[in-house]
Parts: sequence; structure tokens; C-alpha cells
Amino acid sequence: MIATNVRRLGFYLILAFALVSGSMVWWQVIEAPALAARSDNPEVIAARRSLLRGTIFDASGQVLASSSLVGDLSVRSYTDPAFTHVIGYSSLRFGSTGLERAYEDLLVGRADPNPLRDLLNDVLARTPQPRDLTLTIDRRLQDFAAAELGSDAGAVVAIDPTTGAILALVSIPTFDATPISGDPNAAQEPMDALRADPAQPLLPRARQGTYVPGSIMKVFTGAAALDAGVITPETTFPDQPRQETDGFTVDGFTVREHDLGGIQPALWPLSEALQVSSNIFFAHVGLELGADRFLSYARRFGFCDPMSIGPDGRALSVAASYVTNPVDGDCSPFDDAVELASASFGQGEVVATPVQMALVAAAIAGDGVMPDPYVVRDVRAHSDTGTPSDTVLDRFASGGGTRVVSQAAATAMRAAMVDAVNGELGRLYAGQGDITLYGISGSVSAGKTGTAELGGQQAPHSWFIGFAPAQEGAAPSIAVAVLVESGGSGSGRAAPIAGRVMAEYLRMSGGN
Amino acid sequence: MRIAWRGAELRLLLPILLLVPLGFVVTNIAVTGTFEPGPMQLAAVYVGMFVVAHLVLVLSGHRGDQLLLPAVGAMGSLGIVMLNRLPQGLAGTSALGFELGMAATQVLWFGVGLVAMLAVAIGLRDDGILRHYKYSWAAIGILLLAATMLVGYEVNGARLWIDLGPVSVQPGELIKITLVVFLAGYLAETRTLLTSARLRIGFISIPPLPYFLPMLALFGVVMLIAVRLNDLGTALLFFGTFLVMLFVATGRRSYVLIGLVLFVAGSFVAYELFGHVQARVNIWLDPFADPLGAGFQPVRALYALGRGGIFGEGLGQGLVTLGGNLTIPFVHTDFIFTAIAEELGLLGGLALLAFAAVLVFRGLRIAALARDDFSALLAVGLTASLGLQTLIIIAGNTKLVPLTGITLPFVSYGGSSVLASFLMIGLLLSISHRTQIGTDAERGE
Repeated sequence: MIATNVRRLGFYLILAFALVSGSMVWWQVIEAPALAARSDNPEVIAARRSLLRGTIFDASGQVLASSSLVGDLSVRSYTDPAFTHVIGYSSLRFGSTGLERAYEDLLVGRADPNPLRDLLNDVLARTPQPRDLTLTIDRRLQDFAAAELGSDAGAVVAIDPTTGAILALVSIPTFDATPISGDPNAAQEPMDALRADPAQPLLPRARQGTYVPGSIMKVFTGAAALDAGVITPETTFPDQPRQETDGFTVDGFTVREHDLGGIQPALWPLSEALQVSSNIFFAHVGLELGADRFLSYARRFGFCDPMSIGPDGRALSVAASYVTNPVDGDCSPFDDAVELASASFGQGEVVATPVQMALVAAAIAGDGVMPDPYVVRDVRAHSDTGTPSDTVLDRFASGGGTRVVSQAAATAMRAAMVDAVNGELGRLYAGQGDITLYGISGSVSAGKTGTAELGGQQAPHSWFIGFAPAQEGAAPSIAVAVLVESGGSGSGRAAPIAGRVMAEYLRMSGGN
Repeated sequence: MRIAWRGAELRLLLPILLLVPLGFVVTNIAVTGTFEPGPMQLAAVYVGMFVVAHLVLVLSGHRGDQLLLPAVGAMGSLGIVMLNRLPQGLAGTSALGFELGMAATQVLWFGVGLVAMLAVAIGLRDDGILRHYKYSWAAIGILLLAATMLVGYEVNGARLWIDLGPVSVQPGELIKITLVVFLAGYLAETRTLLTSARLRIGFISIPPLPYFLPMLALFGVVMLIAVRLNDLGTALLFFGTFLVMLFVATGRRSYVLIGLVLFVAGSFVAYELFGHVQARVNIWLDPFADPLGAGFQPVRALYALGRGGIFGEGLGQGLVTLGGNLTIPFVHTDFIFTAIAEELGLLGGLALLAFAAVLVFRGLRIAALARDDFSALLAVGLTASLGLQTLIIIAGNTKLVPLTGITLPFVSYGGSSVLASFLMIGLLLSISHRTQIGTDAERGE
């Protein structure tokens, strides 16, 4: 009887052996090709270890990132930490980020900018040739902006309003990416330190940080209302002077003015309202515009959706900015008139990235056309001499941009922004954004400060958006957004940084 | 004592043992690019030991099964060849002024194991010491278990080791044998009762409580091992062995079913209660969810299997390294099967599995022919333990079941495992010998 049971056991064991054999066949025959193609396969990683990547140059041809072989290990070095949040890193341990990721295949030569050559290389199984990139950013301006922020957490975004070329994209704090892009065994410790740092140096604030914008949002509200025909530059609201002191009651909630200092309330039109940064005026403007139109203009300006810098497929990602509470990644409808009134002056549920706000400034500077931003100017053949090759394989340029408001609306808002920096009242607020304070003559700047209240005991975020040159007849060549986290008032911290960065750029580009 | 020629054993041993010198030569050609023989003394020692063991069996007139030793020699050959091919720095011995690499240390343990096997196979003329002292064996097992819990130390999260000065031992390997001996004695005594008397609850019949309780106690011990020592593999192996022996003793599928239900319920409770169990199950279900983090080990092993394909990359030509480190984790112990399947391919892996199958089905044959219940159950238990251990660890390598840290018998690096496995072969040989002697005696009368 035991012998019978042993035979039955034998049958079950045969099944078990068959099952285990089947699992071996599954991985070694059926799944083997799929496994071989995965990017975390050690064979693929091992091949990548010794693969040289192309060099990344700044707009003036200086080396920002380059690869060299140490033993059989391809090691990446970065020359300027101010660029870390643009270029990213290429780590054998942690993968790649930023442009290193977006242009991975071109940098390692896995792809050719020319699709025909790409196919040919594939067919002929040619060894990959690394490609070099040139950025639109000049290292001098990037470093200048980073130095202006100093050790304060924040961001500076500068963009050419005509072409969309990014001129500076600074996020502070930043870090040196070289230690995590070399020997993968030595990369863990520096990465752990960065991850544990409460200052969050790994966060690319300019693109991925979302902040309450405060009064810089009034540029958007005003431009939208002008375009919709809801207001003209002369429109005034009869109750506004009284409400500056008594408060403006919306649906039972009282909207109050910020501290106007010694300024006497008056019946202010757009320019004066922007100069003193009247919350009451823009609350009226927003309510006149209405919730639906406010949302639809916000979408036109790029809110409510993730943005990107660069062409599809090779883009640096930019987090979505929102004017209301996001639901499923989209702006939800306004809850009530109070929320709309607050959003009109940049409070309520509004959050925005510095890139988004720079594009708002660029849209006003560009006569109502918001440019498509890009940061890689061209792809070139690889050069290991330290200077870019002359062989340009592909050139990137602006996608043309999107008209967001009419030229007339943009012109009216631009005039108000010039006044906000240079006008009698405005000087008291945004005067530090005036480029003539920093050695520029013959040109003026336009702009708007923001002091984003965060509630509680937190110091407000300090904001400034603007552009230059802004005098009548001039074509603005730089639009900026400056954010200093908990930097206090916009006039105190962000405005002078923006003024100096714009002045520095005008000097560099030889305008003055 | 009359000489008993063992022709089949010798004929099978010789070609199988050629695997080792051949494997060393092939590895060396691949690694150095020149035709150098490699550590031939080591190969000679390995081959010599098996030949000597064979001769000792012949000279002692041993009539036991002739296929066990060749099967063990074959599994061992694949193991030694792979251990010689791996970087020797992974493990090894340095004692008494000697520095032994991993392969040499393993060969040394095979020597110790073969001696132990011969001692049991030839020395154990009478199984009374096993049969009559079953509770003593159980007590020894429990003492070893308690010792592991009290003074054991952890390696990779599982508390399996006891430090005995010059060597560290894994008592779990020896507990395995005492468990089988105890169960064989206990079940041989009570199997008629377990089979006939029964309590019916609905469709399910369970054995009478006085006989069932020791079984439940055993289940408790197993769960204790899983939870206290964090050694899921050993727990699974013990419990599986127990269920197999219970099935063979009683012939009742329902007992096995109850056992499986208990096991599943226990596992579910463990999953709910313990974070590390949950983590392990989740990694098993989808290792690719986090291929560079939590799923690192199984994913790297699966890539190695994929690289191997049907024919393998060839000895010395596979095993990708990253920064000088092999990408397969625990390659000389838990994942040695993966390394073999990468370099020798699906065919090499299946060959290894086939050698194990020979061992298992010869073990079952010994059980089926045994002349008394105790011997039969002992043979079944030993066979099941070796067979299940092989299946569980290979299935863990191929993600069929969650990976557990048990060794592949005769292949994985490690003295305790090799010694225990050889002791089990020794017991099987001794049972088989007595069966043969008894049959001859009957014929003679």
C-alpha cells in the first residue's frame, strides 16, 4: 500500500519537474528577446558604461558638459552648476534627466538628425557617432542671474520674446552633477545627500516649482480683459476708491486692499491701478471678465496643462500651472465669485511656474504672441577640441508662437507695465526693475512686481515679471520672470534682480 | 564481507566525472584565450574521491542503489565547474595557513560529505538507532532549532547560522534529517490509526485528535521558523516534506489538502502581519515594477536566464559584469542555477534538473521496494526533502515561486548543505542495501 502511494507521489513529482522545466523554457526561449531589449538589462547598461556622449556647449561655444573615458568607464563632467537644472545629469546609476535625457539618442549617436542617414546607419550597423549640442543660453547671463539669486532659493527665467529662445533658466539651489555622473559605485553617497537635503536642490524650480504668483497675475487679467473688450485703458470702477479703504464685498466675503502706504485712493484707470497694484481694481476686472472667459484666456496662455521647452519628443518638461484647483490635471471651474476675484490678482487657488510667468511677460512683449520656448539651438558633429564643430547637422528655431491677445491689448498692457516701473506711483513699487538704474541709458524696462501672500507666518514669495527695451517703437529682446522663495516683497528682492539681469543682457547683446 | 561489483555505478561515474576536467579546460580557454588546463589537481582530487568512494562500496560488499552516486557526482560536477569559473574571492577558506578558493573549498566539503555518506551507508547495519529513538531525534532537532534561535546570527536577514569557531554551520540542514527520521518513525507507528479512524466534518475527514495534535505542533514549529528565523525557504521545505510523508503514509489527499489550506492561510496571515513577507511577495509578483531597487535581484537573475537562451553563452563567456561586479546576486549560493543556465543554456539547466530527477526517482524506487514501513517512509522523506529543495530553489530562480534562500543540493556552495545532502544519500544507500540483503535472504531460503 505504501508502494502504491509512492507511485502516486511519483506522478505528482513528474508534474512538478515538468512545471519547473516549463518555467525555464519561458524565460530562456519565449521571453528572452523581450528581456534583451529592456533598458535596465545589465548588458545594455554595460554597453552604455563605455559609450561616449557628445559635448554640450553654451551659446558662446564654451563647454558645459563633456565625456571622457576613465578606464573603460565613460565619465561625464559638468563645468557649471548653474546649468544643472537645464542639462540634468547622465548617471549610470540613476539614469538621466534634463537635456541629457531629452537628447539621449542624439548625444550617444544612437540616432542621426537626418532620418535617411539614421536608417542607413541602422542598416549598415555603423558605430554610433556622438553628437554635440549648442544651447541658446549664454553662460555669462546664466551665471550672472545665478549670482544675483545668490544662496536664496528661487528661479530666474529669461526668454527672447520674438524667437522663444531661452536666455537664462536658473534654479537655485543647484548642485554639481559630476559626482553622480561618474563611477556608479561612488554615485550613491552624493545622491543620498542631495535627496536628504531639506533645501531640495534636486528640484528644478524654474520648470517644476509651482508658486502662488500674487500681483504679477494682474498682467494676465488685464491683458485678457483688454482683449475681450471688457475694459479699455480708461475704464474705471466708481466704487473702487471707497472700496480701497472699506473693502469690496463679493458674495459676503470682503476683498481688502494691501497696504497702500501713503498713497491716497482715487478713481484709478488701468495704468494707475497697475502702478499701485490695486487688488480692488483687478477684482472688478476679473468679475467683469467672468469665470468662463477667465478660464479660457488662462488656457490660451498655457495654464491648466503641462508645458514644455523645446520640440515634442525632445522637450524639457514644465509642470502645469493652474488658476483654480486642479482636478485630473485640468483646471476645475471656479467655485464662486470670491475665488475668481482673488485669482484676478494672483491669489485664490492660482499657482504658476516661473517659466509660465516668463511666457506671460513674453506674450505682452511680443505684441500678443506668446513664443514657443526652446533651449537647444543646434546639433553638431562631435568635436573633442573644446570648441564646437562647424558641421551643423540640425538647427532648431521657434515654432512660431501662439497669438494669445490682440496687438492692441498687448500694447495697452505694455504701456501700463512701462508706467508700473517708471511712473510716478509705480516707481514706489517696481522702480527697482528699472534698467536705467543699472547702467543702461536710452532704453526703459516694463514690468510688474508680485508679493505672493502664503498665509500664516510664512514670508511671501517675491516675484517680478518684465521685459526690455520697452519704450515705444523698440522691440523687446528679453522677457524675464524672477522668483525668490519667501523673499518678501516683489519690489525689495525680485525687482532689482530682474532689472540687473535685463540690463546685463542688453549690455551683452551690444544694445547699449 | 564479500566483494560486490558495482558495474553500473562505475560505468556511469566515469563519463560523468570527466565533466569536471573538461569544464575546467573549456573555462580556461574562454578566459585566457590559450589552451591551458586549469586547476587539474583539483579535478583529479574530485574524480579520485568518487572513484575511491565507489571502491570502498565495492570492497565493503555494499548492495545499495548504483545510480545515486553517479547522479550526485553529476550535479556536483556542474556545481564545481561553475564555482571554479566564478571569481574565487566570493567565498573560500583560509585556515591552518591554507588559502583555498571557492571551488577547492567545495571539493574539500565533498570529501567530508563522501566520508560521512560511506560511514552511514556502510556503518548503519541496523536502523534501530533511528527507529527506536525517534523522540530523541525530534528532541535533537528541537535543540538545534532552539540553539539557532538563541545564538544564531543573521545573514541577509535570515537567522540561519551558528558560529563554531573555525567554521560556521547551518543547523537547519541537519534539522531537516532529524525531522525526516522522527516523522518516519512516528508515521510508521501510527499510520494504520491515521488511516482507519477518522472524524468526519462534512465532506472532509480529519484524523483522530491524539494523532493529529503532534502534526499541528509540527506545523507550529514550521511557522515559528518562518517568522522567528525569517527563513521562508526552510519552512516551506519542512512543511512540504511533512505533507509528502503524510500522504505516502496514509494515502489521503484530504490530509494534504488540509495541510495546503493551513499553509495558504498561514501565509496569508504572515502576508498581512509582516512587512518583509509582503515586500517579498510583491517583488515576486512584479519584480519589474522597480528593476533597479526592490526587484533588483530577481530581475538580474531573469536577465541572466534570457541571455543564456537555449544553448547558453558558453563557460567563461557569460555573466556580464558591471564595474567589476557580477550582475547576478548571490551567484554561488541562491542563484547558482541561474549562472549555470546562463552559461550552459536551457540545455544545461535541463540536464541539471534531469540529474536531480534521477536522484528523486531512484529514491522513490528505494521507498517502493523497502521491506518495512519505517524504511519506506524514511526513504520517501529523504527523497522528498532533496527533491523539493531542488525544485523550490530552481522555481525561485525562474520566478515560478517567490525566491527563498535555500541551497541547491550538491551544487550551491556551502559545507552544511553538502554534508547534510551526503548524509541523506548515505541513509538512502543503507536502506537500499538492507532491502537488497533481505530480498537475497528470502531467495536463498
